[in-house]
Amino acid sequence: MLLKNTYNELLKIATKIRSYIGIGALTLLIFIVLFAMKADGKSYVGFVTASFEQTLSFNGKILNGNLIAFIIMQMLIVHVPLLIALVTGDLLSGEEASGTVRMLATKPISRTGIVFSKWIAATVYTLIMTFWLGFLSLFVAKWMFGTGDLIVLNSNGLLILAEYDLGWRFVFSLIVAFLALWTVATLALAFSAFAKNSVGPIVSTMSVIILFTIIGTLDVSVFDTIKPFMFTTHMAAWRSIFEDPFPLREIIESVVILTVHIVALLTITIVRFNKKDITS
Amino acid sequence: MRKLSILVLVSLVGHTQAQTANALIESVLDKINLVNDYKAELQIKAVIPFIKVPIANATIYYKKTDKFKVESKGIAILPKQGLSDLTGFLTNTKSYSAVLGEEKTINEHKTKLVSVLPSAENSEIVLAKVYISPSDALIYRTVLTTKSSGTLSIDYEYNHNKQYALPSKLTFTVDIKKFKMPKSVASDIRNNDDKKKYKENEKGTILLVFTNYEVNKGLSDAIFKEDQ
Repeated sequence: MLLKNTYNELLKIATKIRSYIGIGALTLLIFIVLFAMKADGKSYVGFVTASFEQTLSFNGKILNGNLIAFIIMQMLIVHVPLLIALVTGDLLSGEEASGTVRMLATKPISRTGIVFSKWIAATVYTLIMTFWLGFLSLFVAKWMFGTGDLIVLNSNGLLILAEYDLGWRFVFSLIVAFLALWTVATLALAFSAFAKNSVGPIVSTMSVIILFTIIGTLDVSVFDTIKPFMFTTHMAAWRSIFEDPFPLREIIESVVILTVHIVALLTITIVRFNKKDITS
Repeated sequence: MRKLSILVLVSLVGHTQAQTANALIESVLDKINLVNDYKAELQIKAVIPFIKVPIANATIYYKKTDKFKVESKGIAILPKQGLSDLTGFLTNTKSYSAVLGEEKTINEHKTKLVSVLPSAENSEIVLAKVYISPSDALIYRTVLTTKSSGTLSIDYEYNHNKQYALPSKLTFTVDIKKFKMPKSVASDIRNNDDKKKYKENEKGTILLVFTNYEVNKGLSDAIFKEDQ
C-alpha cells in the first residue's frame, strides 16, 4: 500500500506544473552561467589568479568544465532549496487546501504511511533535481569547456586539484548536496503538515534557511555554540569534499547532523499529521 | 700629478673589471648561442604559501631569439620572470653594464658575482646579480630584482647539456605577497581556527626539473602560436 501510495504521490508531483518550474529554472540558470562563462570566463579566472599574477604565471587550461561545474554547484546550491521547497512544501498542505486530505485519510493506509509515501515522493523529486544539477553542470560543462585541473578558492588561498582526482569528489559532493537538499525537502514537508495552504510552508522554509544562513555568517561569538548544530551550516559541506587533505571527520559530522535533522523533522511531521484534526 | 695617477689607475682597474665581467657573460653567451631551439620535458614542483598545487608535467619549447612556450595538460605554476627573459636580457650586451663582484662557492662551484645594471630607464629588470663559474662558463645562481615581481633568486644545476648551458634543474625562490580572499568568494563553512597563519610576505619555491632535451632539432614557428 505504501508503494502504491508513493506511486500516486509521484504521479501527483509529475502532473503539477510547479514541479517543472524548478527543473526549468535550474536548466535556464545553468545555461545562463554556461553562456556567461563562455563569453567572459577569462575575466573570472583573472579575478581568481590576480593576487598572484605579479609573481607567478598560471599555465594550462584553467577555465575548464570542472571549474565551471564547481562554480555552478556553488551558485545554485544556495538557490535550489527554494525550487525544492516549491514542490515539497505543497505535499500535505496542498491536500488540505484542495480538500482532498479527508479522502486521502479514508484510504486503507495509516496516516504515518501517508506521510512516508509523501516523504519518499519528495525524496525522489529532490534526487531528480540533484541528478539534473549534476548532469548539466558536469557533463554539459565538460562538453562545452573540456576537462582539466580544478582551481578551488578558499580563504586559505588556492588549491589546485588534479583532474584524475576529481571524479569521485564530484560524485561524493553531489551525494552530500543531495543530503542537504533532502533536509530542506523534509523541513518543507514538516511545515506543510502544520499549514492549510502551500504558500506558508514554502515561505517558512525559505525564511528558516535565510535566518540560519545569516546567523551562520555573523562573526558573533554568542552564536558559536548553536552554529555547529544548524543544518544550514552543513548545507555547504559538499564544498569540503574539494579540500586537501580530505576532511573526513568534518564531512561525517555534517552527514550525521543532516541525517539527524531529516529523522527529527520526519518524526515531527508524522506526529503532527497523526494528531491532526482533519476538518476540511 | 699624484691624484691624476690614482684616477687613471682606478679607471683602468674599473675598465679591466668591466672587461672581465663582460668576458664572463660572453663566455656563457657563447654556450647559449649554440642553441637555436630546444624542446624538453618539464616537471614542476611548487611550494608556495597560499597555494597548494600537485606536481605538474609540461613540455617547454624555445626558439631563438625570444620564442618561448610552456605547454601543460594540467595547471602549472611558473615564475613570471627569470625563465626566458634573463637570457634575452644578457644576449643584448649593449643594453647593460656589468661589474665584477665577490667570489662565492655555490654547490661546490667557485663562482664570480657579476652585477648587471640595465642602461634603459624603463627596463623591467632593475638589477641582476649573476654568479658565473669561470672554469665551466655556467651560471649557478641569479638574483633578479625586477620592477613588478620584486626579488627572485634562481639556483641552477646542470647535467648532460652543459655545453649549451641548459640546466637540468632550476630552483626559483620568489616573494609572495599576502593573499587576501574576499569572503564572498571563499565560502568556507568551518571555523578557521586551525588555519595556517601566514606572514605579510613569504617566500615560495618552484623547482623545475628538465629532462629529455632535444636541442637544435628544428622547431616549427606554429608551435609558438597561441591556442585559440
